[in-house]
Amino acid sequence: MGKKKRGHPDVEELLARPWCYYCERDFEDLKLLISHQKAKHFKCDRCGKRLNTAGGLSVHMNQVHKESLDKVENALPNRQGLDIEIFGMEGVPDDIVQQHNQRIITNFYTAQAERHAATGNPPPGQAGGQGPAKKIKVETPEELKKRLAEHRAKVAAIKANGGVVPVPVVVPKAQPASVSPVAGQSPAQGASPFPPPQPGFPYPPPVGVPGAFPPPVQPGVVGAYPPVYPPPGATPTPPGAPGGPGFNLPARPTGGALPQRSPYYNNYNGGAVPPPGGGYPGASTVDELVSGAARQGDEIDQLIRAAEQGSKPPARAGEDAAGGEKKGKSKDKNMRMVYGDSEVSPEEKMALLPRYAVSAA
Amino acid sequence: MAPSTQFEVSQPPSDVISAVVFAPDNTNRLLVSSWDRNVYLYEIAEGTEDATLVNKFEHRAPILDVCFGANGNEAYTAGLDCSVKRIDLSTGEQTVLSTHEKPVRCVVYSPQHSMLISASWDHTLHVHNTSAPNSTPITISLPGKPHALAASPSKVVVAMTARLVHIYDLPTLASALASPDPASVTIAPWQQRESSLKFLTRAVACMPNDAGYATSSIEGRVAVEWFEDTAESQARKYAFKCHRQTAPEEEGGGDVVYPVNALTFHPVYGTFASGGGDGTVALWDAEAKRRMRQYQKFPDSVAALAFSNNGKYLAIVVCRGFETDMEDFNSAGRTKVFIRELGETEAKGKGPK
Repeated sequence: MGKKKRGHPDVEELLARPWCYYCERDFEDLKLLISHQKAKHFKCDRCGKRLNTAGGLSVHMNQVHKESLDKVENALPNRQGLDIEIFGMEGVPDDIVQQHNQRIITNFYTAQAERHAATGNPPPGQAGGQGPAKKIKVETPEELKKRLAEHRAKVAAIKANGGVVPVPVVVPKAQPASVSPVAGQSPAQGASPFPPPQPGFPYPPPVGVPGAFPPPVQPGVVGAYPPVYPPPGATPTPPGAPGGPGFNLPARPTGGALPQRSPYYNNYNGGAVPPPGGGYPGASTVDELVSGAARQGDEIDQLIRAAEQGSKPPARAGEDAAGGEKKGKSKDKNMRMVYGDSEVSPEEKMALLPRYAVSAA
Repeated sequence: MAPSTQFEVSQPPSDVISAVVFAPDNTNRLLVSSWDRNVYLYEIAEGTEDATLVNKFEHRAPILDVCFGANGNEAYTAGLDCSVKRIDLSTGEQTVLSTHEKPVRCVVYSPQHSMLISASWDHTLHVHNTSAPNSTPITISLPGKPHALAASPSKVVVAMTARLVHIYDLPTLASALASPDPASVTIAPWQQRESSLKFLTRAVACMPNDAGYATSSIEGRVAVEWFEDTAESQARKYAFKCHRQTAPEEEGGGDVVYPVNALTFHPVYGTFASGGGDGTVALWDAEAKRRMRQYQKFPDSVAALAFSNNGKYLAIVVCRGFETDMEDFNSAGRTKVFIRELGETEAKGKGPK
C-alpha cells in the first residue's frame, strides 16, 4: 500500500515507538527514552548522578549516600517497584507491553475516527471500489459515531447492570441490531483483541497473542473485561472481513460505565479530545495517569519532547523571560530569599562590620 | 567515573573572597582578592593538582575587586580604603592610581584601549589611561551606586542600584581620554537601560564576542541581553530562574532563593557559568537557552568564578555567603578555592536548534 504522509502517524509507527515502563510516555527513539529514564527515574536526588537502572541507583544510594531506595521516582503508582529491572525497553513484562499496545491502538482508533468525522474523508483503503467497502463508505462517519456511541452506552449499561442485559437505556436513536452479550462469557474467544474499525484496514496483527487479553494489572481495571466482543457464536471479525455494526469498533476495557454518558458520546464530534473518564475508567485510568505524569513533567522531558519534534527547544530560560515577571509575582509569596535587601549590597553591609574598618593610616 | 579533574588550592585566603581572575597571557596564573586585606597570586602547577601560592600582596584595607592589567605581571585592585591601586606582581610595588570618596567596588581593565575603569560607591566611575599613569582620570558621575561592572571588547556595562544599567562605549571613552583636556569632557552613556531583573544586581559579565551581556540578581535569576539596539535583538533577551532550592515541607515549602553571586563567560565557546549562594555552579548555553551542566554542590556559597584565558580552567571560590541580618559574619575556615580542569568539550554549547 502506498505510504501517505500525513500529520498523524500510522498505528504501526505508534506501536513501534519506544516507551517508558515507569510513566507510559513514548519517545522518538531508544536514545531519547534512555535519557528520559536516566533523567526522570534513575537520577540520584542527593547528587544528581544519573544511573542506568533502578538497581544501579539503589546500589549507588546504598554505597554513596548510605540510604536505601524504596521506589522509582516519577513513576506511575503501580510501577514504582524496584523488583523489575528496566533499561530502555528491556525488561518490561509482556503483560504490561500488551496493555500498552492495547492502549495505543485504542487511542489510535479513537483519534482516527475523530479525524474521519472531522474531515469527512473515507477511511483509508476505502477509496477504491470493492463492494462492501463502498457500502460502508456510504455510511457517514457521523452515523458510525452514533452507532459507536449507542453501542458503548449499551455495553456500559450492561456492565452497570452487572452484566445482565440492560433495562432500557436512554439512547437518542433506535438501538442497532441487537448484540446481546451473554453474561459471564469469555470475552476473548474468537475475536482479535484489537479489531480494526473497518474491514480491510491495513493494520498489523497486534503484538500480543491474538485472543489473549492484557491481564488486569492496572489499578482501576478490576479484572472485568466487558463483553465488547461478540459472543463466540456471533460473527467474529477477522481482519479483512466486513464486520458487524457495533463490535468491530475499537474496544477498550471498561470498568463500571454509566448509561447517561451516552448523550455525551453522541454529541462529541470530530476534533474533540477522546472522552475522558466516565464510561471507560479502565483505559482512562492509564490515560489519566499518563497525562498526569505529563503535566508534572519537568524541563528535561520538555526538552526531550522538543528535540523529538525537531522544533526549537521550549527555551526553558526563555519561557521565564516571557512570563517570568508575572509568574514570579504569584510565586514570590512562597519563596524565601537568602539575601533580601534590594537596596544595599552584601558588600556594603560587610564593609560596616568593625573588623573590616579601615585603619586610618 | 572519570578521574576527578577538580582540586582544591592548599593555601586559601583566610577570609571572604571578593574576586578571582586569570591572567590574560598565562593560563596557569590567577589572582584572588580577599577581605583579609590581601591579594593572592597563585600558579597552577602542571600535573600536581595544586596551585602554589606565589606571592601575596597586603593592603591596608579589604579588597573588593581585582583585575589583571595588560599582562600577567600587572594587576589593579579596588579597595575599601577608597583607592584604586596598581600592583607590579614581580616586584610587589603598589601605586595608587586614584582615590574615590567612598570604597571602590569594582575595577575592570580593557586591554583593547589600555584603559582601567573603576566604579565606586561614591556614584562615580573613574576612567584611567594606564599607558600614562600620571594622567588624571576622567570622572563620570552615575545616577546610582554601582554594584557590578564588566567590559567587553568595545563596551563597559555598569549595573547600579534602582535597577539602573548604563553601557558606555569604550572607544568614546578612549577618545575622551586622548583629548587635550579630559577633565572638561562630559561623557554620556551609550545606552541607558533598566535591568531585566527586579532585584539588586549581583554580577555582570560580557560576552567575549561583544554581542551582549548577562546579569544576575540576589533573587536567583539571570538575564541575558544583547547590546544591539534593534527590536529583533532586544526581543532576544530573556531571563531565567536558577540557584534555587525547594524548601522541605516541614519548613513551609516554597523555594529558597539564593543570590547569583558570580557570572563568567567562557572565552572560546561563549557559554557562561553562574555561581550562587546555594553552592552550585552551572554552565549555560546562552544561545540555545539551555543549561549544559550543573556541578556537584560546593560546601559553601560560590563567591566568584573565572575561566582561564583559553577556557581550560574554571576557578571557583567558595566562602560563607552573607545572608540577611548576619551580625557575626565570619568565613574563617570556610573559604576555599577550587580549580576545575575542563574537558575538551565540557563547556562547548550545542548551538541553537
